[in-house]
Amino acid sequence: MLGYILVGLASGAAYALMGVGIVLVYKGSKVLSLAQGEIGAFGVFVAWTIHDHGVAGPLAALLGVVVAGLLALVIERYAIRPLEGRPQLVGAVMTLGIALVLTYTEGELWGFNIKSFPSSVGTKTFSIAGGVLSANNIAALVLAGITAAGLYYFFARTRFGLAVKGATADPNVARLLGVPVARVYQFSWGLGGVLSGLAAVILVPQFGALVPFHQTLFLIRALAGAIIGGLTSVHGAIVGGLLVGVVESLARGYIGTGGVTDVVVFGLILATLIVRPRGLFGESA
Amino acid sequence: MKALSRLADPRRLFCLAGLLIVACLPLALPAKAFTLAVVLVKTTGAMSLNTLVGQAGQMSLGQGAFIGVGAFVAGNLAVRHVPLPLVVLAATAAGGVTAAITGLPSLRIRGLQVAVTTLAFGVMAEKFLFGQQWFSGGTAGLMIDRPVPFQSDRAVFYLALAALAASFWADVRVRGTKAGRAFAAVRDGEERAASFGVEPGSSKLLAYTISGMVAGLAGAMFAYVVGAATPSSFDIFLSLNLVVIVVVGGVGSRLGVLVSAALLLALPALMPKVIFGANIDPGRRAPLFAAVLLVIVVRFMPGGLGGLVRRVGDKLFGVQRGRKEEEGVPVSSAEQVAQRAHDAAFLRRVPRPLSLRMPTRCMLEGHGVSVRFGGVQALEGVNLEVRRGEIVGLIGANGAGKTTFFNAVGGFAPATGSVKFLGRELLTEPGSARPRYGLARTWQQMGLVRAETVRDNLLLAQHWIAGYSAGLGILGFDGAVRTEAELRRRSQAALAIFDLEGLEDHHVGDLPYGLMRRVEIAAAVAAGPELLMLDEASAGLAPEEARQLGDQFLALRSELDLTLIVIEHHVPLIARVTDYIYCLESGRLICEGHPSDVTSDPKVVESFMGRSHSARRPRAEAVKA
Repeated sequence: MLGYILVGLASGAAYALMGVGIVLVYKGSKVLSLAQGEIGAFGVFVAWTIHDHGVAGPLAALLGVVVAGLLALVIERYAIRPLEGRPQLVGAVMTLGIALVLTYTEGELWGFNIKSFPSSVGTKTFSIAGGVLSANNIAALVLAGITAAGLYYFFARTRFGLAVKGATADPNVARLLGVPVARVYQFSWGLGGVLSGLAAVILVPQFGALVPFHQTLFLIRALAGAIIGGLTSVHGAIVGGLLVGVVESLARGYIGTGGVTDVVVFGLILATLIVRPRGLFGESA
Repeated sequence: MKALSRLADPRRLFCLAGLLIVACLPLALPAKAFTLAVVLVKTTGAMSLNTLVGQAGQMSLGQGAFIGVGAFVAGNLAVRHVPLPLVVLAATAAGGVTAAITGLPSLRIRGLQVAVTTLAFGVMAEKFLFGQQWFSGGTAGLMIDRPVPFQSDRAVFYLALAALAASFWADVRVRGTKAGRAFAAVRDGEERAASFGVEPGSSKLLAYTISGMVAGLAGAMFAYVVGAATPSSFDIFLSLNLVVIVVVGGVGSRLGVLVSAALLLALPALMPKVIFGANIDPGRRAPLFAAVLLVIVVRFMPGGLGGLVRRVGDKLFGVQRGRKEEEGVPVSSAEQVAQRAHDAAFLRRVPRPLSLRMPTRCMLEGHGVSVRFGGVQALEGVNLEVRRGEIVGLIGANGAGKTTFFNAVGGFAPATGSVKFLGRELLTEPGSARPRYGLARTWQQMGLVRAETVRDNLLLAQHWIAGYSAGLGILGFDGAVRTEAELRRRSQAALAIFDLEGLEDHHVGDLPYGLMRRVEIAAAVAAGPELLMLDEASAGLAPEEARQLGDQFLALRSELDLTLIVIEHHVPLIARVTDYIYCLESGRLICEGHPSDVTSDPKVVESFMGRSHSARRPRAEAVKA
């Protein structure tokens, strides 16, 4: 039981990272991004190519994360920012289009054969409380912890963090007060992209497969975590992501595979939204 | 004769020509009949999504799952040799039920979160439901023999074409009946929709059901066309690619969806693999092309291909669209006055029980009405009475609680106390029950659906009078055709009363502001109310228009026999036309009485002009609802 929970926490940590990216983007630009999964995956594909040319795994992974961040910046500048003022659905559809463009482009560039990408922290495993955790799992947990702490510090203590908070609360008022709102949008997308890249770098070795199309499964879990957390709350996304990971891991352990985990994810979203439409930590309206 | 002239409409001819060309395709390209039939099936699926997103504003990212459910239900029945019509019916029903269940969260939550639940449903259906041996036959799927008259690819093509035509027709019928008007109203704003008597929850579920039924039909067609139903056919990318087709087509545009499907599905399927010696393989690369096109369309062409087709069509057929210019109000002749009286009497004939038509003296009675939003007391213990035949004014500074009082009466504010209309308690009833009792209102920020035509808005306002069932009405049953004709006559009469004839086909959003407000009142009157609640009808009107508005209030009472309660800021207007005035400040009633008394009351003057002298008290922050 404890073992399943630990493994669940580890994959949940990766969902949480991507979920935090979704929340940042949502708070920053009021766009519910369906592209976060593919932005991260694209980064890993690039990392795979770099690795294939003989660069060490961890360095390649780092470069992949950077590429994911840059890609998100480009998307924000040329696809998202021009949509300001249009209905929310338009933004979501745009990110869906971008996700599909990235998916099929990956298919064009790298083909549809399954590739593997090595874990950046080695393949050592540790037995803890009856569960087996890989070094990768532990790295995920540590990264999620660092991200949570870093974002907490950023929003609570730094000037720019405060500006981000203000711009997301009311862009017009923030603009009047001299907050560079466009910079904030850019920043939230860039950071969201980096987090997606990190999540993908962790998730891909964990599930052992790098294929276009595969990211939807991660995305839906990260989305579930973000929505359970309330979609506007960073720590909500972390709690939500971990919850999804744990419940999924328990379901896999006790009920078995064959799509049961997807039923659980669906059930979690549904239960949260029906019992508490705002999510666990969401702001009203 | 009428049918003939409708047929001669160039648009219809154009559509018929298109249908003929498509019907001839398998004769011209017999080898491609199968591929094209699959395209038709997918287009039917896109059409089902178009009805849901375009008309009801609900985004489904799991539409492929509804199609899959239809296909597997059809497959299971077909392998047991159930006749085709029954199979199709069962698959349609299964799709509808599945979609309705998926739509349940939309009752609690709004917007994009519902879209995410549909995405999660789609993934779950693909990974779990379609993986169940008993339902889908496992990964191998179900193999189906095509039944007798549909064994050839060509025959099955025509079967799929018939299904696509049915989905097109369903979309047309939804649009033209009370179901579609309710969808549009809910899409625009659930509270205002309820004020027209629309129940938002059941409307959304109906939209999901209809969309799911069409998707189920597409599923059945898939099973027959392909001769198999396999889980991998109904993955999440089917759902997402349907979204692409609908958005590229221009959400809500039927013709656009067809054009988009032709471009994104049919064209790549018909193109040769090798073009000019290069192995382009358009069939495989089509999804990438479609996704790129989606991004371009969202960025640069909000109307999609449908908008483009419409603009070209308008140019070809010389249709004028655009802003309607303001005209002066014509002077009424004696004949027109007589006609108006006739129209007014006609509009008062509504199916309302006798108990609500008794000549009681007191029409609206508010007793201790209080509304609290969090820490703000927006209304506190308001007592108010409106008698039959009166014009009652409700005045007060911004944030005094006037609109909140209207919302409490309308059922959109969490009110305590009692509001009785003709002796019936309103606060325990849902907002959508008001029009039935005889209450109609206008909104400060316009209650009409701007994207729809004047005619559709007037028909929408009569939602409660349309006694037919929204679902059956789509099929033309339950007296829908007769009722619709009657409602159109009523709309015409209401437009005539307000000198708005000839505006029927204009979109409300294209009208100048003054006309828009007049249309709003006309729509309220078309609902056949006893009591009309007008929220700042004079806001934004020029002085001359405001004066005319005063005459209109008096005419509404004398010619239409209506009782009015009006929120107004325009003091001369209100002093001239009202019989009694209530003045609110910070949620409390500070003064009531006859106009001349109230407008000269020092408390009222102070409230309106601000406290220039005397002790300054901090004024409570009040919420403008």
